[in-house]
Amino acid sequence: MIQTQDVLPNVPNQEEDISDLERTWRRGRGLFGWLSVTTHQAIGMRYIVTAFIMLCAGGIEALLMRVQLAKPNNTFLNPDLYNQIFTTHGTTMMFLFAVPMMEGMAIYLIPLMCGTRNVAFPRLNAFGYWMFLGGVLFLYWGVFTGAAPDMGWFAYPPLSGPQYTPGKRTDVWAQMITFTEFSALCVATEIIVTILKMRTPGMTLNRIPLYVWSLLIQSFMVIFAMPAVVVASSYLLSDRTIATHFVNPSEGGDPLLYQHVFWFFGHPEVYIIFIPALGFVSAIVSANARHEVFGYPAMVLSQIANGFIAFGLWVHHMFATGLPQIGEAFFTASSMMIAITSGVQIFCWIATLWTGRPRLTTALYFVYGFIAIFVLGGMTGVMLASVPLDLQVHDTYFVIAHFHYVLIGGAVFPLFGAFYHWFPKMTGRLMSEKLGRWNFWVLFIGFNLTFFPMHILGLKGMPRRVYTYPPEVGWDFISQLATLGAFIIAIGGIMFVANVFMSRKSGAVAGNNPWDADSLEWAASSPPAEYNFEYLPVATTRTPMWVPREERAFVTGLRTDRREVLVTTLMDAEPHHRYVLPGSSIWPFIAAVAVSIGFVGSVFNPWYVISGSILAFVALVGWFWPKYPPELKGEA
Amino acid sequence: MTESKTIDVSHLPPYSISNQAPLWWGQLLLAAIEGMMFLILIAAYLYVRLRMDVWPPPGDQFPNRVLPTLALIPLLLSCIGSYWASEAAKKDDRAGMIKGMLLNLVLATVFFVMRLLEWYSLNFSYKADAFGTYVWTFLAVHSYDYVGDMLFTLVLLAIAILGRHGPKMRLGVHVDSVVWYFLVGIWIPLYVVVYWGPKILETQQ
Repeated sequence: MIQTQDVLPNVPNQEEDISDLERTWRRGRGLFGWLSVTTHQAIGMRYIVTAFIMLCAGGIEALLMRVQLAKPNNTFLNPDLYNQIFTTHGTTMMFLFAVPMMEGMAIYLIPLMCGTRNVAFPRLNAFGYWMFLGGVLFLYWGVFTGAAPDMGWFAYPPLSGPQYTPGKRTDVWAQMITFTEFSALCVATEIIVTILKMRTPGMTLNRIPLYVWSLLIQSFMVIFAMPAVVVASSYLLSDRTIATHFVNPSEGGDPLLYQHVFWFFGHPEVYIIFIPALGFVSAIVSANARHEVFGYPAMVLSQIANGFIAFGLWVHHMFATGLPQIGEAFFTASSMMIAITSGVQIFCWIATLWTGRPRLTTALYFVYGFIAIFVLGGMTGVMLASVPLDLQVHDTYFVIAHFHYVLIGGAVFPLFGAFYHWFPKMTGRLMSEKLGRWNFWVLFIGFNLTFFPMHILGLKGMPRRVYTYPPEVGWDFISQLATLGAFIIAIGGIMFVANVFMSRKSGAVAGNNPWDADSLEWAASSPPAEYNFEYLPVATTRTPMWVPREERAFVTGLRTDRREVLVTTLMDAEPHHRYVLPGSSIWPFIAAVAVSIGFVGSVFNPWYVISGSILAFVALVGWFWPKYPPELKGEA
Repeated sequence: MTESKTIDVSHLPPYSISNQAPLWWGQLLLAAIEGMMFLILIAAYLYVRLRMDVWPPPGDQFPNRVLPTLALIPLLLSCIGSYWASEAAKKDDRAGMIKGMLLNLVLATVFFVMRLLEWYSLNFSYKADAFGTYVWTFLAVHSYDYVGDMLFTLVLLAIAILGRHGPKMRLGVHVDSVVWYFLVGIWIPLYVVVYWGPKILETQQ
């Protein structure tokens, strides 16, 4: 896998270096090898595939709901099953699809874009994936055994409390949250450290690609938001299993407090999903406009501002709870403020496309689709930020329409654009552009047909989470439109999957940089070698791949007989020291199994927290125990 | 950047036991995560206080404040042991690491025994009411992290005694000291909330 463009005339022993790297970074064989993998491409791909399966699962649940709602007094689903399905749909899409998908893309792309060989903590990365998989299996174990949660994806007490939801359904939900938050925190930690300390020389803060900025901001948001949901889900679980009084009103606890804590996480969560998507858009726009994104400082600053403001919005989910008016006014103002920073970014992208020479690829189609849908969702967002209107349409289909416009428009459309954009990097082959156009238009039309009518349904008073409605209310025609749209979306999804499979087999060979894009992931081969680069590429400008080949620079002198990477300084990315990353290891998997035993067991018996902790401790000791006594000794 | 086409990094040190190490940053973020969680719990405690008329709730006694206050002395001193061990780790001084970690573990144990004695004497359980739930949660969550880090220090100590201490393990000792400073530092606000909170926020009749 020699990349001719990277071969340097004046570096001796290149062939040897490459064969050394191949040997050092090789993955293990068989099941044991598969469970021990710690390279970021493999783990990122596992996240992406698992999260995509979850997208399909959530999609099937959505179709079931749409079938049920297609006619009045329908009996396709009974009320209990309907409750389980809408809760599982929301939970799956938020916790098992959207966040892990964004994380998977980041794990795959960030080390490449930063010009390094792996994430900062490869074993933690593997552990995070196994925890995520544990959450997936646990929730769907519940689904198939009739213990799927049925109290809505935000599980408000007292409905989710022991009195009104006996059985294990809420407990399964709460521990599934614990699994995924563990995973998200692992990823956030390693992404931040990779970005701050492992950027290639020359990539100063001022030259970080916008996608990398978006992930840095998103990861910090995870660090400060996820602990809130740790607290919220632990409130529920411990109130239910060991009779604490966090949210039990009869002993001084407070159900409203749960809403505060949950939304202190829940609102930033939306931006945790959406900010990486903004990064996709920036990367796709600059590559296809063949022009650096307009207003780099404005883009970075408005994304950072988005990150901060996101923590000051949570109460707008609680306008109907009777809070003091002054508080409501404050949160109305901050909710409207987010439109400013989002607007700045939209204008910057438009300016980039305007001044560049746009090439209409499928990825760019998805960006256009994103701008159209997201702006509409943003408009209804401004409407919902005003308390009187919010009170009118609270818990109606208007809200459903709004958040599907912002989440599908704001995150899923850029995500599909990103799939089309980076598929050649990940597989070495281009996806079919022709099928891609069809894919885009079917999804775009299907999406609008499904969700636009829901605005009207909401204004006509249809509440969310009802399993059926009487014929007199006149919601049937609009509901049927939405159901039709949902099936069109499903066709679009099938077209995408077909395109993936066909292109993987027989797509045009991509080469290293098929889009002539600007960032460093395109310097690696397609698909990248396990070690990403033979010699780390140096970033001499903000758009290193647009520097003429003869002016590019590379890092030499990293040892190739072990997984060595370069640590650089935080601001200026000056080389500081070399650092050995751990190789393949089974311990992250064992640790994840140990922790999972504790989590799953604690639903049935609280003492499992203790036994799970002891098992996890043993696994962690195995994980950190030094392999060789003189490991690196005498090297300093 | 440099004009030449290559940057040779072979002269750079192969590891660094300092705040430049990725592991140090990872540990800092872990402290941020835990700190955030405690902050949310403290905010929730104050929120619950605002919603209740009588504080502490009837029947719950004030926790004793003498023993927990005295316990701060061994707790703060235990940081000296951590600092000693981490400075020794930087210099690859095995004896210093062992002594530092031993000092840290002994003082940490003294603090923990004092905490358990006081905890045992509380006249309310976590099942009593929201107040009891929060006090027990602060104590339990902090103890969980505290004992966990003591055990990891013990493992590092074992590695040092067995003579298997490479640069990674020494970096571990350095980073372990960062965790310890965090666990000691975060206890100060928690101590105020747990032991002084009921008094300061007491219902004035």
